[in-house]
Amino acid sequence: MNLNTESEKKNTYDAIVIGTGITGGWAAKEFSEKGLKTLVLERGRDVKHPDYPTATLDPWQLPNGDKPTQEDLKKQSVQNRTGYTVRPSSKHWFVNDLEHPYTETKRVDWMRGYHVGGRSITWGRQSYRWSDLDFEANSKDGIAVDWPVRYKEIEPWYDYVEKYIGVSGQAENYPPLPDGKFLPPMDLNCAELELKKSIKQKFDRLLTIGRTAHATAPMPHTPWRGQCQFRNLCIRGCPYGGYFSSNACTLPAAEKTNNMTLRPNSVVYELIYDDQKGKATGVKVLDAETGEQMEFYAKVIFLCASAFGSTFILLNSISKRFPNGFGNDSGELGCNIMDHHLGVGARGELAGFEDQYYSGRRANGFYIPRYRNVGKDKRDYLRGFGYQGGGGRQGWAGSVAELAIGADLKKFASEPGKWTVGMTGFGEFLPVHNNRMTINHDKKDKHGLPVINFDAEFKENEKKMRKDMMADAAEMLEAAGAKNIKTYDNIGGPGLGIHEMGTARMGNDPKTSVLNKHNQVHACKNVFVTDGAFMTSSSCVNPSLTYMAFTARAVDYAVSELKKQNL
Amino acid sequence: MNTLIDRREALRKTAMLMGAAVSASTVAAFLQSCKTKPDLNYKPLFFNEDQALLVSQASEIILPKTDTPGANDVGVPHFIDSMVKDCYTEADQKKFLDGLNEFDQGSIKVFGNRFIEGSPEEQLDYLKKVHDEAVNTHKSDPTVPRPFILKLKELTMLGYFVSEPGATQVLQYVAVPGAYKGCIPLKEAGNGKTWATS
Repeated sequence: MNLNTESEKKNTYDAIVIGTGITGGWAAKEFSEKGLKTLVLERGRDVKHPDYPTATLDPWQLPNGDKPTQEDLKKQSVQNRTGYTVRPSSKHWFVNDLEHPYTETKRVDWMRGYHVGGRSITWGRQSYRWSDLDFEANSKDGIAVDWPVRYKEIEPWYDYVEKYIGVSGQAENYPPLPDGKFLPPMDLNCAELELKKSIKQKFDRLLTIGRTAHATAPMPHTPWRGQCQFRNLCIRGCPYGGYFSSNACTLPAAEKTNNMTLRPNSVVYELIYDDQKGKATGVKVLDAETGEQMEFYAKVIFLCASAFGSTFILLNSISKRFPNGFGNDSGELGCNIMDHHLGVGARGELAGFEDQYYSGRRANGFYIPRYRNVGKDKRDYLRGFGYQGGGGRQGWAGSVAELAIGADLKKFASEPGKWTVGMTGFGEFLPVHNNRMTINHDKKDKHGLPVINFDAEFKENEKKMRKDMMADAAEMLEAAGAKNIKTYDNIGGPGLGIHEMGTARMGNDPKTSVLNKHNQVHACKNVFVTDGAFMTSSSCVNPSLTYMAFTARAVDYAVSELKKQNL
Repeated sequence: MNTLIDRREALRKTAMLMGAAVSASTVAAFLQSCKTKPDLNYKPLFFNEDQALLVSQASEIILPKTDTPGANDVGVPHFIDSMVKDCYTEADQKKFLDGLNEFDQGSIKVFGNRFIEGSPEEQLDYLKKVHDEAVNTHKSDPTVPRPFILKLKELTMLGYFVSEPGATQVLQYVAVPGAYKGCIPLKEAGNGKTWATS
């Protein structure tokens, strides 16, 4: 009895954060800095900044020109659905699919890594604010449920997060894409400048340099971080701390407070609900290395384990009060899977600028913010899309199908090739109840835990939108004088945008949503979900900045509620 | 495969072309010379000796030693052996070997010798002929899958340009650029050569 009490005491914290990715890192930092003893649980291995094993390897130090082996592809066949992640330089940031399987009634691409920092190491770093065009969309269209939040409420939290992470970008005063607190923008190159000019003149559309979480100026508040070195090897992890990640920024900040206990190899599989207290008291954990089962306790629990990861934990937490999954009075838990649909656009060659080039490797492209269904523009589908793209001169690969051989080939390859420019659409994906995940108890992962079954698909609205995404791209390139324009449309499965979201949405009404406007479970006030699961709609912009802003805001709220003894 | 028979057959044809009766000792000398093939500078794990030799010779023709190193200097044949062994599916491996064999058979047809037994001039002429046909076909219809010779060329170039000499002497490479300048005169972009990585 005594022993139990002792161990319970030892395993008790003020706050538990599940996950160390982009939102877990933020929750860890905010709680620790506010003085709460915080336990941070990460299911995967430890990764300490700046120990990224492939980060400084030159091309000749990687096997097989950095191409995956057949052996790699056997272990990571699902992770390879992106076509760019399973390489010797980056494959260690993605799970072994044989050890961590899931099942699919309909195809969903779940790209993820189990390690400290999660996908904050491998993310695309594009950082865009939402506007009220997004927050009001569900209400105006009568789709799903209304967002319980508007831009004005989240704006100060965007400010707060941007100032900390550092977002390089150009202010444009374009209302659908609000400006932020920007570090100096990166350059557009010659082809991109030409396209920008032409798009403005001929379509009155905006092309701006990508807004990206790279330090293009000193970051005095995180003095251990360096600046972006323009190596463009970000997916390997950046030993300079040139871009924002949990490992380089929020976790070291939390560490400095001495209030954080970070426990890697800790697979949370269930929340503990106390019927009498009417709240969650802690979490059940499986040690990934020893298989030992243990429990940890806290006053407040934050789920930041990724949309599907957190939703799995909730669905797997069955109690008398919550027979259908934790906080699932609405029946919406696991439903409304969203992502962005992409893989559609165009590219072409741009004549001229033969005497111009660029130097350095910019890990960023241009952005054309949404213009469809904005203002007077009306389409036969709802919502819209933005484009991400880039220009550049062809490298050696452009000379494979040329006549040169021998010494001529060396010469040909050493001269910068044609200028090319292309763009890919990122489209909004409407929330649909039947696009969902459930737990499949017939299959087990390497820990013996049941797995997720996915059943989701793109619908008519997305498919209609893609016609514009392809045609507009080609039209803009053509207007800029591009030649040899090629269009493409490879829709893939939901998830391939690696922006999965929506499976524990927030809303005003507990009957139709899982979380309230503070990311708090309607039916259990001391549990919060702040990863992509809370999203009520998807917008068409990259979501991480919004996840971070809501996370910081939710911690602020949770701590004030704790002080008022409301949790 | 049918290597030895082909070699004797090729020899016979060569002898006929020479218009001379060939003495036993001449034949022996020829066979001898065939056996003393150029050394491979690595130990292949996938290709047999003849295949490896063909790949070495062909890749050196595609990217020869000039004032900068050649394909063999920078280990391209070893790179290709490893790529085909580790990164190709079984079906693609078979396709690659079939491609090699077809390339070799074509060589016998065109100049009477297996490729690895041709003179440097014959090898260059033959490879260039096959290559140029492939490029022209590809240019007239880019949707047709690239024929073997262009696959070999691409692999050769990949192996060459990810090597340190290829990346730094023929192209240019800076490990830590430190800045990005988006639109500058070519002559101010390092030494003005193609960047090895983007």
